[in-house]
Amino acid sequence: MTAGALADPAAQQRLCRFIATAARAGNATLASVAPLRGGAIQENWAVDVEIDGGRHSGTQALVLRTDAPTRVAASHNRAQEFALLRAAMAAGVAVPEALWLCTDAAVLGRPFYLMRRMPGVAAGHRVVKELPPGTARDALAERLGSELARIHAISPQTIADLAPDQSFAFLGEPSKSPALDRVRLYRTYLDDLGIGRPVLEWGLRWLELNAPGVDAVTLVHQDFRTGNYLVDGQRLTAILDWEFSAWGDPISDIGWFCAKCWRFGSNDREAGGIASRAPFYRAYEAASGRKIDPAAVHYWEVAAHIRWAVIALQQAARHLSGEELSLELALTGRIVPELELEILGLLGMGRRTGRVA
Amino acid sequence: MTADRPDGAMLLAEARRTLLETLLPLLPADRRYDGLMIANAMAIAARELAEQGRGARDMLAELMALLPPPDASDVSQTPPPELLTHLEAHLAHDIRGGLYDADDDRRAAVARYLLTATRARLRLSNPKLVAE
Repeated sequence: MTAGALADPAAQQRLCRFIATAARAGNATLASVAPLRGGAIQENWAVDVEIDGGRHSGTQALVLRTDAPTRVAASHNRAQEFALLRAAMAAGVAVPEALWLCTDAAVLGRPFYLMRRMPGVAAGHRVVKELPPGTARDALAERLGSELARIHAISPQTIADLAPDQSFAFLGEPSKSPALDRVRLYRTYLDDLGIGRPVLEWGLRWLELNAPGVDAVTLVHQDFRTGNYLVDGQRLTAILDWEFSAWGDPISDIGWFCAKCWRFGSNDREAGGIASRAPFYRAYEAASGRKIDPAAVHYWEVAAHIRWAVIALQQAARHLSGEELSLELALTGRIVPELELEILGLLGMGRRTGRVA
Repeated sequence: MTADRPDGAMLLAEARRTLLETLLPLLPADRRYDGLMIANAMAIAARELAEQGRGARDMLAELMALLPPPDASDVSQTPPPELLTHLEAHLAHDIRGGLYDADDDRRAAVARYLLTATRARLRLSNPKLVAE
């Protein structure tokens, strides 16, 4: 969808009719529509709607979320993301309320859904810098730890009860070895790109030879990091970006959250650039009843840097192919050596004095 | 032919200075990031111009010592960047296959190469991380 599609009065009318029907309202009119920045994969729009009648009567501040022109492999479609948001909300996770899903391409040309617009800032570089030092940071890390524990309380056995009107078949069968599945997946992505990266292969081989056992397979968010949650002042308002959620090893989300590549330069604050690990771990352990094994987190931090490097190569390939010319995508390809240096450091090579693998 | 002055590298440096000092302050806040990305892209390109492929040649020399010698005609006929890509793919394949799992001199040599190559790449893309 382009800016033109929503600027087109006919499309706006179709959207209003869809909202009025979905909200069981007499009428709906658009007060404002504006594109939201952020998200290299989806397009998000801030939409203010006047709804006349029904349960949602009044002015509603919403976000309309639809696919961008190209998709990244393994990301969920909008209907699947909508189902995940419903389940997460029922499990008590702070998420924007997912209101209405439209899979009829006749309305805007692509599937989309509408959710409540939550207040706050997501941009990682702002979140890590703008929080005052001290207790506010620890409190946010604790809150994130307990939110993550709520996500990990969602299991293959419980998800259907959380959102009985949704299908979760797209999540597939839980794997017995999520770690080795990831190794296979990233190798496949590299092969599809036709790129031989010795450092990434070195890391992948280490992941293969050191794969941990898994106590419980749960829902994992798979993109739980600074930049993907909203902070209003000092308060967490919503966990965003559920397009990669899957069954997996819950510790993988902790490794992703703490990985250096997601600290936005605040490297001494190892929990997402906002605080030390202690408050984040403490709250997670208290809420989940699960003890965090630092060696397992280390494993998943290696995996995190490899995963981000592979995604960065994919993003650069989207630019290089000409299908989506973008300076941001192009430059993302050039961050791979930073990630490779960190992978080598985590494996005890180079200047970092860490554990030797 | 003698290169005309200012040469391409000098023009690029001046263009980047103009962007950062003159244009960037005029950009609205929501476009500032675009300006910074352009400046970063120009800086990478300038470093690549100045470096003239030295890092890639060093990587190639180290790789050639590490891997079984490629076909002599391959070496003479393939431009260095393509040969490097080819040999790195070879090394990547061997690492995946477990050829360097054993804790021996060959593994240590590969580990050294990985650091050399990563630092050579960073000297172009983000030299702060390899500052001595």
